[in-house]
Amino acid sequence: MSFEYLEFGKEEKDFIEKIEEISGQNVYSCYQCGKCSAGCAFSSSMDMTVNQLIHLIQLGQKRRVLEANTHWVCASCLTCTVRCPREIDVAALMEAVREYHLREEPEKIIISEIPKKAYDKLPNIALVSNFRKKTG
Amino acid sequence: MVQYSYFPGCNLKTNAKGFEETAIAVSKKLEAELVEMPKWNCCGTVHTMTSDNMMRRIAPVRVLSRSKKHIDTLEEGTTKEVVTLCSMCNSTLKIVNHEVKQNHEDLEKINYQLEEDEECYEEDMEVKHFLEIIRDNIGYEKLSQSVVKPLEGLKISPYYGCMLLHPDEAAIDDVEMPSVLEYLVESLGAEVIDSPLFKFCCGSYHIVDEEQIVDTQVGKIVEAARLRGANALVVACPLCAFNIDHQQKIMKDKNHGKEPLPVFYFTQLMALALGVPLKTNHFEDHHIDPKPLLKELGLTGKKKS
Amino acid sequence: MSKTKTQTKEENKTPMVKIYIMGSAHEVPASLTIMKAMEYAGFKFTRGAGCRAGFCGACATVYRKAGDYRIYAALACQTQVEDGMVLTQLPFVPAPKGKYDVNKVSPTANTILKLYPEVARCLSCNACSKVCPQEIHVMDYIQYSLQGQISKAAEESFDCVQCGLCAIRCPAEIPQYHVATLVRRLHGRYNMISPETLEARVEEIEAGFYEEGLNELMNLPIDKLRHKYYHERDFIDQKKA
Repeated sequence: MSFEYLEFGKEEKDFIEKIEEISGQNVYSCYQCGKCSAGCAFSSSMDMTVNQLIHLIQLGQKRRVLEANTHWVCASCLTCTVRCPREIDVAALMEAVREYHLREEPEKIIISEIPKKAYDKLPNIALVSNFRKKTG
Repeated sequence: MVQYSYFPGCNLKTNAKGFEETAIAVSKKLEAELVEMPKWNCCGTVHTMTSDNMMRRIAPVRVLSRSKKHIDTLEEGTTKEVVTLCSMCNSTLKIVNHEVKQNHEDLEKINYQLEEDEECYEEDMEVKHFLEIIRDNIGYEKLSQSVVKPLEGLKISPYYGCMLLHPDEAAIDDVEMPSVLEYLVESLGAEVIDSPLFKFCCGSYHIVDEEQIVDTQVGKIVEAARLRGANALVVACPLCAFNIDHQQKIMKDKNHGKEPLPVFYFTQLMALALGVPLKTNHFEDHHIDPKPLLKELGLTGKKKS
Repeated sequence: MSKTKTQTKEENKTPMVKIYIMGSAHEVPASLTIMKAMEYAGFKFTRGAGCRAGFCGACATVYRKAGDYRIYAALACQTQVEDGMVLTQLPFVPAPKGKYDVNKVSPTANTILKLYPEVARCLSCNACSKVCPQEIHVMDYIQYSLQGQISKAAEESFDCVQCGLCAIRCPAEIPQYHVATLVRRLHGRYNMISPETLEARVEEIEAGFYEEGLNELMNLPIDKLRHKYYHERDFIDQKKA
């Protein structure tokens, strides 16, 4: 069995505070039941499940949280939010992590790199929502 | 005849024309006319879940304020309801409406931004999805009495998608056990096929840059409905419709997949059953043409079986 | 001599105001427009001035007033100075234009999004409309474009003079005035009925119908041409005649 010692200093606390501020949620409400991940339609596409990501947020592990694709794969369907037994707005936490990223790096997708052909068919509802979620 | 202020949302004017035209046609037949707001802006499609970003709440609040003004001009508009067809608009407007009613400070900030535009929202509107109007104000009984051509032979799997049922503030029905689309389909004389993936997210906006995610979701949704014997899906969201419709076609072209299932908006089914002219459906905008299926079942109005 | 003196007196009577041009204070007559006041203060325009009549949109100016947090924007040739104004010129707005052949695109929202995908980022904050010196409902025409309502967008944006102030204020970084050009071109190309008389006249020109008369004029000596122009010109109403 191996152990990993995690730092828990000012940087970590600041990260947690910011995520709580943006999302308006208390990350320590989560007791890791995993219901969010079990019901998530996208779990199989995520490199870390939703509850795992929340655990890392609780530990203030900013770098690891931001490196995960979990919050980007999340499409805000809110299934987790309506099912959470602790009444946490889980999707708002995912949004907060996205927002944290976008407030530092405003472009998750580079709009000019989207192939022009795609615009021939894409409905504008898809573009509006995508740009709202993935650009700052 | 009651008139409702109707907020279309961008897609109803572009690739979901069939949704809007059939909705307006059936709303007239059911004496609950949808009248489009004169000037409206995009609601933002996805609601911001941040607690501090007021900028993204301006658009939906402006819609609420403008719809109030519109209602005042309606002759037979006796309600304070703004009606949507798109479920993303429905959800965005409902959530913001709920939020600003709870949080007056936020509303003050937003109204302050709207001041120069001579807009002010006074928390006096209710957002309704057309499905709610059908269920609560028109009634299934009246709907089934208006049917001139029962949709016999159509085996419809209702697909709610996320935004009709999530979150609680925006839900138009029971979150885990909705029935509004089921009753609607039954009232029109079609058969309901229940699918466990009735609200399994279609992948939504990932269609822009993560198409494979959408493909996976759509594959599962369609397969679940097909396994249970459905020959078509019914939806209430232009993005669900596009994703399921378009990606089925792409997947079929790529892997010689199974016969795709056509996707209908609920208003298109109503229009077919209520005898609204076929062209209002704009089936030419669909990627999987529903006409062969309708023809086979004798529902196109041209052939009597 | 005395005449000159009275003139100076009158000039002294002209109320003066203090304005700040790019940070430095200048006393200028209160009756002047911003553009004339800047010239009065000694600035010479090499850019940022064009028609001087409110049509070309070259002289976009941004300013604040004393004791007011708002950012105002106007055309320098059309706006009178006010006491305490703090202003600067915006002679150029960097915003690349989409390239297209108007005959090869369709009048739809998809065309607009293909050339200007950032239109989908519009937050409907209305900052663009607030800043527009032409008082156009900029946000509304951007929304019409997004909705694919090309004709409505074209009509709403008709008075645009391309000063570019909207693009400077936009939090979604949309070049609204280029979108306006695009929608008007699409509207003109696909939605408007082209007048029959115009088409007939163009056909005549292309068929060389006026070639002879034109050549005749071109070969006339200047005095004969002048005579033709001033004395022989026919002002008779063709229909009545």
